[in-house]
Amino acid sequence: MSAATIVHVVVSGLATGAIYALMALSLVIIYNATRTLNFAQGEMLMMSTFVAWSAQRALGLPLVLTLVVAILAGGALAWLVERAIIRRAIAGTHWDVLIITVGLSLILRAAAGLAWTHDEFPFPSFFPSAPLVVGPARVAPVSLGILGGSLALIRFTRLGRAMRAVAQNQRAARLMGISVERVYSTSWVLAGVVGAVAGVLVAPVVFLSSTMGLIVINGFTAAVIGGFGSMPGAVVGGMFLGVLENLAPLYLPSGIRYSVPFVVLVAVLVVRPAGLVGRVERRKV
Amino acid sequence: MSARRAWPVLVLAALAAWPWVASRYFVFLASLVLVNVVVAIGLNLLSGYTNQLSFGHAGFLALGAYAAALVAIHAPAVPVVVTLLLAGAFTAAVGLAFGVPCLRLGGLYLSMATLAFGFVITEAILNLDTLTKGADGLRVPVLRLGGFGALGDTGRYYLTAVTAALMVAAAVNLVRTRTGRAFLAIRESEIAAQASGVPVAAYKTAAFGLSAFYTGVAGGLFAFVVGFLSPDAFDVFLSVDFVVMIVVGGLGSVPGSIIGAAVVTVLYDWLAAFQNYRPLIFGAILIACMLFMPGGIVLSYVGGPDMAAPLTWGPRHGPQTPNARRVPGNP
Repeated sequence: MSAATIVHVVVSGLATGAIYALMALSLVIIYNATRTLNFAQGEMLMMSTFVAWSAQRALGLPLVLTLVVAILAGGALAWLVERAIIRRAIAGTHWDVLIITVGLSLILRAAAGLAWTHDEFPFPSFFPSAPLVVGPARVAPVSLGILGGSLALIRFTRLGRAMRAVAQNQRAARLMGISVERVYSTSWVLAGVVGAVAGVLVAPVVFLSSTMGLIVINGFTAAVIGGFGSMPGAVVGGMFLGVLENLAPLYLPSGIRYSVPFVVLVAVLVVRPAGLVGRVERRKV
Repeated sequence: MSARRAWPVLVLAALAAWPWVASRYFVFLASLVLVNVVVAIGLNLLSGYTNQLSFGHAGFLALGAYAAALVAIHAPAVPVVVTLLLAGAFTAAVGLAFGVPCLRLGGLYLSMATLAFGFVITEAILNLDTLTKGADGLRVPVLRLGGFGALGDTGRYYLTAVTAALMVAAAVNLVRTRTGRAFLAIRESEIAAQASGVPVAAYKTAAFGLSAFYTGVAGGLFAFVVGFLSPDAFDVFLSVDFVVMIVVGGLGSVPGSIIGAAVVTVLYDWLAAFQNYRPLIFGAILIACMLFMPGGIVLSYVGGPDMAAPLTWGPRHGPQTPNARRVPGNP
């Protein structure tokens, strides 16, 4: 195998990895503020991408505006979901909310099937016909920019501090005058927006369909590999997974390719449950 | 005879009488319900009792189903009881091999690892096509039981009913023993259980193995009842359906598992004409259950220990004082 092939594979792996990193980020944002996992993230991303695709087809929007539509749709959907459903369970356990989001993912997938059928649709790429190398060179900065922005938001702003406080102890945060409801809304909307960007980027690769949301499992894997809850970890994990997934078929039988993320997931969980970058979580009793 | 004792007798009588009163299709449907009852109890032992939510039980079901089918194909002389036990044991062994390392993980991670497990299993079935016939699907030979010859729908129904009844009885008794109490203690608080001298790791492992065993046996029954296996029947959505069953019926309750499995299976069949709306309805049911009756049907209508304070409907203002169990992060 020539070095050029490997470089090519690695670079295209980084492109996929950057998208996984965004998905991981959207999961981590909600997790960091509310300590729950959003099982419906994939379906939310799929819905916003479908909306953007319809707008693009109906109005002939340029791709940049399509992205804006996707972001607006993603944010609006997340806000709606949070206000209508998640807020009712604000005092529930992680399990309650996880199961609620499982139900939500079923509803959204069925709704998308009813609105747009269960067929697969091609989605225009941001980087048409250009050699693959150009793609990652642009995808990665988008990804890193969003990551940097989110990181700064969480670390340095008042809102970010409120999010961390709510994650640590909801009741204490409330006693300190933080609006837990607002933190929930904000983190969901933020995750919806990041997810929408990931959706538009990944749709040309996997095709637009009602089952497209399953790709977010890779985002979750990426988040775990990096250390769930860590934002830099999400990016490291995403890149690592993307490269690995692209390299694996060169050395392993092709049928195994789709199992690679899961095997890696289990392996990482066993060897280093805190992830590559993450810290071990301690909980006081 | 007290009501408590009368219930099982009534249910058993109804089960025995069913093939005489129902049409062939409803006998088949009842067999499916019973298979799902066994899966739901297996999943509930893990998720409801020890609080480890699994999204990979379709994978375990597939393991049991393929194991039983392969035994039936390659060793037709093996009695069906042994085949079912083998299916259960094989699934439990795989489950433990996978589960033991994963048990070191916290709840959320375990759920995702089981999700991954489900994917790997279907992928493996597709790729081991010399053994499993891959995507073409595997035809399960007709079941022969000792002196009865080939079993028809009714025969398969009775086999399933007897197996399910035995496994329900075993589960009911298990949850009343020291092991069952240990499971419940782990669910309420792992730390408190550990502090009280419950070997948490051992019991969690046991719950995992037991759950896999139940699901494996159910898989064996599934193979014989349905007669045809293909990997796409065991996708992640099936795992989610199992979760719906135990949530709707009642987490941590054997009667809940039975009711949930029955309700979901019948509803699933009933909504066959509205295939596209089915996930919509199931999702709505799941959310409604979590919001309005967190204990499932059993706790809401049949009664039992009040484990979960219901979440109130409507926006919350000001500092809340929720039930301490529901907010684990609180000191």
